[in-house]
Amino acid sequence: MMTSFDQIREEAKTRGKKKMVIAPVPAEMDFNVLSAALDSGLVSPVVIGSSDAVASWVKGQGKKASEIEMVEESDAVKALALGIDRLKKGEADILMRGAMDPKRFLVAILDKEKGLLKERVASLVSIFDPPGVGRVTMATDTYVNSFPSIAEKVTITENVIRLARLLGFSSPKIAALSAIEQVNPAIPSTMDAAILSKMAERCQFGDVTLEGPLDIDCAVSRRAATRKGVHSAVTGQGDIYLMPNVEAGFLMAELSVFIGKTPMACALMGTSHPVVLNLPFVPAENRLTEIELAVLLSGRV
Amino acid sequence: MIRSFADMDRLASEKGPKRLVVLAPEDEEFMMAVKKSAEEGYTRPVLIGDREKMERLADQVQFDISGAEKIYEKSRQAIADLGISMLFSGEVDIAGKGQIPTAYIYRAIIREESKAGKGKVVSVISMWDIEGLDHLTCFTDTGVNITPDYRAKTEILRNAVFLFHLLGYPKPKICVLSGKREIGGDMPSYQDYLELKKAAASGELGSCEVMGATSFLDIFCPGQKDFRLGSIDIGKAEFPHIMLVPNLATGNILVKLDFALKNVRRRSLVMSSRGPVIIPSRSDFQDSILGEIAAGVTVAEQIKGGAAS
Repeated sequence: MMTSFDQIREEAKTRGKKKMVIAPVPAEMDFNVLSAALDSGLVSPVVIGSSDAVASWVKGQGKKASEIEMVEESDAVKALALGIDRLKKGEADILMRGAMDPKRFLVAILDKEKGLLKERVASLVSIFDPPGVGRVTMATDTYVNSFPSIAEKVTITENVIRLARLLGFSSPKIAALSAIEQVNPAIPSTMDAAILSKMAERCQFGDVTLEGPLDIDCAVSRRAATRKGVHSAVTGQGDIYLMPNVEAGFLMAELSVFIGKTPMACALMGTSHPVVLNLPFVPAENRLTEIELAVLLSGRV
Repeated sequence: MIRSFADMDRLASEKGPKRLVVLAPEDEEFMMAVKKSAEEGYTRPVLIGDREKMERLADQVQFDISGAEKIYEKSRQAIADLGISMLFSGEVDIAGKGQIPTAYIYRAIIREESKAGKGKVVSVISMWDIEGLDHLTCFTDTGVNITPDYRAKTEILRNAVFLFHLLGYPKPKICVLSGKREIGGDMPSYQDYLELKKAAASGELGSCEVMGATSFLDIFCPGQKDFRLGSIDIGKAEFPHIMLVPNLATGNILVKLDFALKNVRRRSLVMSSRGPVIIPSRSDFQDSILGEIAAGVTVAEQIKGGAAS
């Protein structure tokens, strides 16, 4: 089981070099992480688009410049379509968002026919590596689905379990979060959590322990849970937190980063190939981890 | 201006004791916190609850309650009603929730507010003291309204603005938090933000300001496209005093992250029109309950001193 971003890095290095398409051309902020990915031998970049900045970056890579493939396409939409096509044809392994706003990019890649959507929905998993804790934890969905239905939450759960297993969690412990730990018809997310919990109990998610609804204090602290009379293998030991809606997911991920100063990297799940979204709320220090996660996911999503 | 929980503890110690009615102190952690609050000089407690349980617990934590006023009552709703009516009649300065369902307390507050002709929306304000930040901040509503509409949000904000005025912040900054991001369109919480910004600008919410940020990324990196964890400095950010959460689940999850984060501490209360009602979580331990009592004492003192006027 991978318990830190360092371990994810070490594991990614064992997987062989992957071809990573960046389309359309990288934004200014992406060059550092691309150089780092190139230096670590994780990926051979394929840059689709055209800009002077790309040309000068390639030139600056010295001997490694020969590993970078440049494809000329000045239209951003066409550049992305070319990138997706390469993945579908098996000519590339990973797609990374370049200088296109996340909305347009996601609309394109989540198109059921022309894009890369494989499951009912795609969802973002935020992975945290809190210093001194000695294990990573995951929260989802922190970006894609605003107010997912129970059917969508089932897929979001399956998506994150798939990632957890790839990271070596053979029997992940999952907390389905809500405002309270009791099932209350006035709070729909408690009902959703209870349904997911029952589905898990009937082994519909395979080998996992899923408890819900749980409030965050019961989920993160066994002592607090015991004080509330909640007894579960998940309390204080959760590997995965299922968020009730994106307002909770997105803001919780940001709060953990900005106030908790917790390292965080994200992985998009539910697509046929790994996609690095390069979202603005991911710290610069953790952008390489996102590429490493994509390397681990390559061929296994 | 009260900038930290340490300021509150100091003030509670200097200006106490205040009369605190404790609703069902029937748990060891809670009784210990009440005992400490009396020892620290914060409170002169009035205990309402089950006689046998209160006496046994007081004995267990070696708290001599022979001199304290005690009212024996077993019905949970009767305890809540009596305690809250004592707050509204001015017999006590603060009410504190013990082992009683929170909904009973809210119901009692709503009844008393209605009788007093205030009809206020009841909301929970959860303050955070964050290491490195030179002022207090809070999340609201973290306890009552499941999915507040725009009107309820204006009331929730008024309650929090009132509290921050009491704490010495003449024009608190508000961040209306939203899950608005690059995708997903303008969510209802973002539309509320736009309206609340106008309402604040027109003075409808009292002396306060709604900031342009709706997320932590906005607060810490306005206009920037990239940031490093190592360069985050909360002391240098324009950090809000009040954070309005879009819904209860989000509020509860955010505010109780203090269980996971090492650099924040939390104290929650309800600001009724007659004084503070402290609402410890059922998972809170004696030190944090004691802290909430200190917060209640501080607010009661500020009300007495007319700090918000």
